[in-house]
Amino acid sequence: MEENENKLEKAIEALKNEQIPPGPPQELADSTLAKLAETAEQTDTVQQKNRILMFEGLRTAKSLTKIAAAAVLLIAAGYATGRLSAPRSPDMEQIRAALEPEIRKNLLDETKQYMQLGLANAYVRIQDELSQQYREDLRRAVLQSVTASNAVTNELLIELIESFNEAQNQDRQRIAAALEQIESNRLRDRDELSNALATFALETEDEFMRTKQDMAQFLSYTQPEQTNRDEIGNSDK
Amino acid sequence: MVDWQVIIEKHGPAVWQTSYRLLGNHADAADCFQETFVSALEFCRRQRVRNFSALLTRLATARAIDQLRRRFRRSRCETEPADWADLQSANPSPVQRAQQKELTHSLRKSLSKLPSQEAQAFCLRYLNDMSYRQIANELGIKANAAGVLLHRARAKLRESFELSVKECK
Repeated sequence: MEENENKLEKAIEALKNEQIPPGPPQELADSTLAKLAETAEQTDTVQQKNRILMFEGLRTAKSLTKIAAAAVLLIAAGYATGRLSAPRSPDMEQIRAALEPEIRKNLLDETKQYMQLGLANAYVRIQDELSQQYREDLRRAVLQSVTASNAVTNELLIELIESFNEAQNQDRQRIAAALEQIESNRLRDRDELSNALATFALETEDEFMRTKQDMAQFLSYTQPEQTNRDEIGNSDK
Repeated sequence: MVDWQVIIEKHGPAVWQTSYRLLGNHADAADCFQETFVSALEFCRRQRVRNFSALLTRLATARAIDQLRRRFRRSRCETEPADWADLQSANPSPVQRAQQKELTHSLRKSLSKLPSQEAQAFCLRYLNDMSYRQIANELGIKANAAGVLLHRARAKLRESFELSVKECK
């Protein structure tokens, strides 16, 4: 018993902690909305049909009322005829007084029913027409607003693309100008460097030549002295 | 006038969780999700709704239990429809996972055999953490009756587990 209880607890825990993917997916939400709209529309249609059936029933009842009124009138006429054909002369005024309120009441009821039915029909028709017109207006307004918003969105997108293009062009121009500047700087630096190197080479050459001359001059000063010493040495020997 | 788009956005995740938890696969959960909202629409036409969250949870539970019942009636075999999303998850302990899967499957099967009201009361209490009073409100019964339903549901589930153990042996 306890084992089963534990097992049940574990099962509940497992089911409760089971990993559930996040949802519902957007497509499911959209299709559910569409299905709800469809169901609502179907229900409306069924209700309308029921209403029509109810009015048809009322119409049948109305014809029944007519038949009943005619029957009442016929009975009243028969009764009146019977009374009239009776050996005793009937009191016409009394008969009229007895029948008139009944007939009047029947007529009034029938007229009232006619009026009510007509009004109800007119009400339903007007309601349907108004709701249809409202739906049409709403649909038209939605279409217009969607079209307008699309146009505005397109314009904004075009403006955005143009501003992107313009910014890109400006960037390209700036980069080209910077590259040109770098190139001209490089050329100027190269010229200056070559000039400086040429000057340095010339100066070095001049200095070298001067040193060479100094060396030659120095050698020319020192050589005779050496030869004189050699000569003196040889004479001593 | 009820704005269903807002309601789906607000309560859709909870309905999805309830449906998926009870049914365990994407296709059935999607069907249950749609049926729940269609039932809610019909309910709204009949009477005024005070608490959409509780109503939708109760309807989702009821529809999911109906679906479970159809599933287990339709297929006599013990296999459960595979949810391919499971294959992508990295599972550190396959044995434990298999045991849990078996337990949840047994519980779903046992729930499908319970009477509708008992199954609903059980799910609302133990899976959706509703109080006795909330369950009673949603099922249109008294709190004491909700307690009785839960007790019966637990007893029947225990019995069902016992039977399944004997069958295994």
